[in-house]
Amino acid sequence: MKTGLTRLLPYALILLVTLALVWIDKPFWIQLAIGVAITAITALAWDILSRTGQVSLGSAAFFGIGSYTLAIFEPLIGLTLAWIAVVVVCALAATLLGLLTLRLRRMYFAIATLGFALSMQVLVVVFPDLTGGSGGIAPPVLADGDPRWQLGLIGLLLLAAVALSDALLGLRFRPAFFMIRTKPELAAASGVPVVRMKIFAFIVSGVLIGLAGACYGGLYGYVVPTDVFTTNWSVLPLAIATLGGMDTTIGPLLGAIALKALEEVARSVIGGTGYQVVYGAVIILFVIAMPQGIVGLLRKAGTLAGRRTAAGEKKKERERHA
Amino acid sequence: MPDTASPDPTRRSAPPSGGAILAVEDLTVAFGGLKALDGVSLSIAAGEITGLIGPNGSGKSTLVNTVSGQLPVRGGRIRLHGGDVTGRRPDRIVRAGMARTYQIPRVPPTLTVEEVLSVPLLYAGRDRHRLPGLGDAASIAAFCGLGPLFRRFCGDLSVTDLRRLEIARALACAPDLLLLDEAMAGLSHEDSVEVMGLIRNVHGQGISIVIIEHLMRVITTLCHRVVVLNNGRLLAEGAPATVLADQAVREAYLGKGFAS
Ligand SMILES: Nc1ncnc2c1ncn2[C@@H]1O[C@H](COP(=O)(O)OP(=O)(O)OP(=O)(O)O)[C@@H](O)[C@H]1O
Ligand SMILES: [Mg+2]
Repeated sequence: MKTGLTRLLPYALILLVTLALVWIDKPFWIQLAIGVAITAITALAWDILSRTGQVSLGSAAFFGIGSYTLAIFEPLIGLTLAWIAVVVVCALAATLLGLLTLRLRRMYFAIATLGFALSMQVLVVVFPDLTGGSGGIAPPVLADGDPRWQLGLIGLLLLAAVALSDALLGLRFRPAFFMIRTKPELAAASGVPVVRMKIFAFIVSGVLIGLAGACYGGLYGYVVPTDVFTTNWSVLPLAIATLGGMDTTIGPLLGAIALKALEEVARSVIGGTGYQVVYGAVIILFVIAMPQGIVGLLRKAGTLAGRRTAAGEKKKERERHA
Repeated sequence: MPDTASPDPTRRSAPPSGGAILAVEDLTVAFGGLKALDGVSLSIAAGEITGLIGPNGSGKSTLVNTVSGQLPVRGGRIRLHGGDVTGRRPDRIVRAGMARTYQIPRVPPTLTVEEVLSVPLLYAGRDRHRLPGLGDAASIAAFCGLGPLFRRFCGDLSVTDLRRLEIARALACAPDLLLLDEAMAGLSHEDSVEVMGLIRNVHGQGISIVIIEHLMRVITTLCHRVVVLNNGRLLAEGAPATVLADQAVREAYLGKGFAS
């Protein structure tokens, strides 16, 4: 179905763009690429979770937990162990939240995860001794503050996210995940350990978002709760994956690029804060106009073109089957 | 209301597990106050096709859902191959050798037939050598008449083909016992005859089968034995001809006035 070449496309895209930007070294484009990469990681992670039917509005919780864990643990146990702590803490939080929301259906699941993200923000303010409260906290600066190295590292994390997403779209996981999403009883009746698989997806997703959050916090070495625990980071991954095309790897990537491009254009054309309204409205219009996202649109264009050239062959094939 | 604690003389005692592949003992399942199964004891003989019949709402699907681990048990025991599987997770029960189909097949529309069959093949963890010639998705699909549709999306399948796929999916679990919940409901006469042939072929592979069916024609042609439920209780069991001639069974189906 999918040729080897299209499978390699996301990897090539990320590698080429990252290397080119590091080479050219234009600060504006590097910052833009870092923004795209971080949102793309969160969108991929959100999509991975949604393949099991868990539509989360809690991404911000993991984004914030990631940056805060790195900031809190680095002075205590050093940088390397602090990064490991990010993975462990996010995995634990994902397991906990996953188990608590296990039996919740769509809307209730979304609300519960949103509630988790909001309560995390409150928690940070309630324990100022540990978290710095609303004044913020200082995670270690990523790559000594060199934007090119920062982009390189975040690009690597994005590549890892892409590889994970692809692996989870393989025969081992995709059918089982989709079956869990459509009818969990049917998956269980096919031998799938549903609870374990859902928690597994939650952990992969939560850890990826947490790592992205830790990188984000390390860009400037300073974050306040409203930077990371904001609903923006919960809604953005969902919007990007939907805009780009769910259940794919390239979709969240294209979605992140499209959204950032849109944001920049709106910012420069409209300016002020009014641009956000226009930007939001355009996203809504896009989602309505392309329910399958950018990927769906490209596929449709592809099949239309394919139909014209291969109409004869398909007809023959159909006759063979009949 | 009869006292459930006292032994009911009409109720069969638990049969020796030698010939029984599945045995339930005094099984009670309730939805809130409603007892959908009320102290049911019965056993399914290995190697046979057993018909599970009864009027609408008599508890047939509940029985299948319960023994396959999808519903909590309020009382009683479930034994598969003589081993206690009461309260076990559905995926574990599949691995222990019992598969079931769903009355309304609901598969992800964006998966192909091949991908759906790959799930039990990968996860049911059963020994494939038990069913020679049914060890991979392609041969299972061909066996169930889905060969030409192997790479089609489930969203494009007809109702009959979805039924076939549901049987194929259960078959891909390599079960010793297969529970079919209304595998023929809503099919045309022709299609149901074909699915009956398929069920016979599955039985020919050495798989014991329980079928829930409203069409008596199907029960009389396919089944070696019939079990009748009514209001969550066991009403009768025995050879199809005997059971269907039974006065109590006719009354349960048709209402008192019509039976005589
Ligand atoms: N999830 C549920 N919640 C509440 N009551 C239920 C549920 N499932 C079944 N019941 C009730 O349990 C009883 C038995 O239902 P069940 O579906 O087992 O009957 P059935 O014999 O399969 O009927 P049919 O021939 O219509 O499929 C019915 O009274 C039904 O209303
Ligand atoms: Mg039923």
